[in-house]
Amino acid sequence: MKAVCWMGTGKVEVHNVDDPKILNPQDAIIKITRTAICGSDLHLYNGYIPSMESGDILGHEFMGIVEEVGSEVKKLKRGDRVVIPFTIACGNCFFCKKSLWSCCDNTNPNAHIAEVAYGYTGSALFGFSHIYGGYAGGQAQYARVPFADVGPIKIENDLPDEKVLFLSDIFPTGYQAAVNANIEPGDTVAVWGAGPVGLFTIASAYMLGAGKVIAIDRFPERLALAREYCGATTIDYSDGKSVVEALRDLSYGGGPDSCIDAVGMEAHGTDVAATYDKVKQALMMETDRPTVLRQAIQAVRKGGSISIPGVYGGTLDKVNFGAAFAKGVIMKMGQTHMHSYLQPLLERVEQGQIDPSFLISHRIGIEDVPDMYKVWRDKEDNVTKIVIDPWVDTTAA
Amino acid sequence: MSTTPAFDSSTVRFPISGANYIPLPDEKKDGHVRAHAVQTVNADAMTLYNLWRNETVLPIWMEGVVSVTRTGDTTSHWVMQAPGTDKQFEFDGEVTEDIPGKKISSFVTNGPTEGTTNTVTFEPHPFGRGTIVTLLIDYVVPGGLLGNAAAAIASRSPEQIAIENVRHLKELAESGEIPRVTSQPAGPRGVIGKWKEFILGETNPTPPGTSEAEQPEDLPRKNTLGGTR
Repeated sequence: MKAVCWMGTGKVEVHNVDDPKILNPQDAIIKITRTAICGSDLHLYNGYIPSMESGDILGHEFMGIVEEVGSEVKKLKRGDRVVIPFTIACGNCFFCKKSLWSCCDNTNPNAHIAEVAYGYTGSALFGFSHIYGGYAGGQAQYARVPFADVGPIKIENDLPDEKVLFLSDIFPTGYQAAVNANIEPGDTVAVWGAGPVGLFTIASAYMLGAGKVIAIDRFPERLALAREYCGATTIDYSDGKSVVEALRDLSYGGGPDSCIDAVGMEAHGTDVAATYDKVKQALMMETDRPTVLRQAIQAVRKGGSISIPGVYGGTLDKVNFGAAFAKGVIMKMGQTHMHSYLQPLLERVEQGQIDPSFLISHRIGIEDVPDMYKVWRDKEDNVTKIVIDPWVDTTAA
Repeated sequence: MSTTPAFDSSTVRFPISGANYIPLPDEKKDGHVRAHAVQTVNADAMTLYNLWRNETVLPIWMEGVVSVTRTGDTTSHWVMQAPGTDKQFEFDGEVTEDIPGKKISSFVTNGPTEGTTNTVTFEPHPFGRGTIVTLLIDYVVPGGLLGNAAAAIASRSPEQIAIENVRHLKELAESGEIPRVTSQPAGPRGVIGKWKEFILGETNPTPPGTSEAEQPEDLPRKNTLGGTR
């Protein structure tokens, strides 16, 4: 099969590799019909997530048709149409039983690596470095899905792939970001990053009763989507004005009730601290650039909530923790507990409350993926979301 | 023979509530490596005890075990694979204490690891989270501490073997399988990719668990878990 392989920092290639096989009795093999490039794939592309090995198959947002199931798979059968959550959970450990699916104990074959870095391992993820399990990803024509009875959600309606594909990551991730922000009716919510997760966070914040959602970004096409599709008030920080000042004004003096960092470790900024981070990260003296987190801590109202769906990988420098303490801030973060959100969010899509395909800007074949990683990283061509049909042949044209 | 006094697990205090913490053995001395591992497993003590006591199924989940044959009520013959190498070695083991559902202690009576002792206990979690599995190992390392250093470079120190053994038991008991990514497809690894695989400890084979793809033919893979799931 064809698969998108990480071959080094800034180097992604399509290779012909072996088809995946059933390795464990609860596995399924999925013939992938649609897959996508995620913002977090750029952390891998840019080399900020350790423990990538050349040849790793990328991709964790995918869906398709069940091709084959292992001997212990009871709920899925060949021919079922499924969306695959990007976190892999066993369904039977302490954490899965508490619906902390992304903390599952039993799915990471490389738990020992994560234990060195993080103390304990979270659940494994598809196509996201060996510290997170080393599972082959879904930017390919086929994928092996472990614990097939626990994760995949069956799609039994005739909605097109593009409307359900984002249940694999970005819609639930945006939704959990809003849930973690403890939104009460009428609240003002600030969202840093109007990329795919940020846009779903904005939409979800309104679903949960927010009165006003403010989106912060620097790309006009993203800010336009945030305003026009999601109904946000927008701040373009690229002119160097203070985001914290703008948020004070827009929240009528008191600060947003909730601040959501949908950016993470590779944040950009215009202030001195942002430049400091950029230099330190480039010199490998710092793993993450907490520009957004600092602003969120500074901007949030007293006793407010900060929710962090953006990915952080290592240690943070000069974080204004004193401000967080002084204001009695609540913080919640982490990988998405995907399995809890699949069914309720599928229902919202079925009921027409949201059409998740609104943010797709590019539809490509698998051979185009290496070029599109560069476009995606550099935010060229007004890109907002790239969806891949791994079977369409775009090389002939 | 080493001059270190024999390791006596009966003097070890397991983690208990309402008492000052006394560290479990964790030291390297005189060719011995003392290591421990603790996990709370969402399964009943008898199931876990049976998985541990039935030596013939150990190759399913215990790292580095090629085969075990029973030679008597309390004795067995083990064929092992040294971590990070193709080299096999053999020894005889004897169970010295056996309390069904609670505790198993064993002793290696000959071979390169002669004198190694193993104690595993199964205690109910005080607040109903399953069974606390505590493993204490006093390894006699072939080649002494130099051998230990070599094994550590191959990403499996004796300490890590103790941790992985308890982890694999937990995975098998809770989820019904041991997670694996070996032999999945990948693009060309190249020299750097292969080097990283080795450094990250991924070249150590994952025990087969309930896998049908990687199960040796002669292992009793069905009903390994005693129908508890």
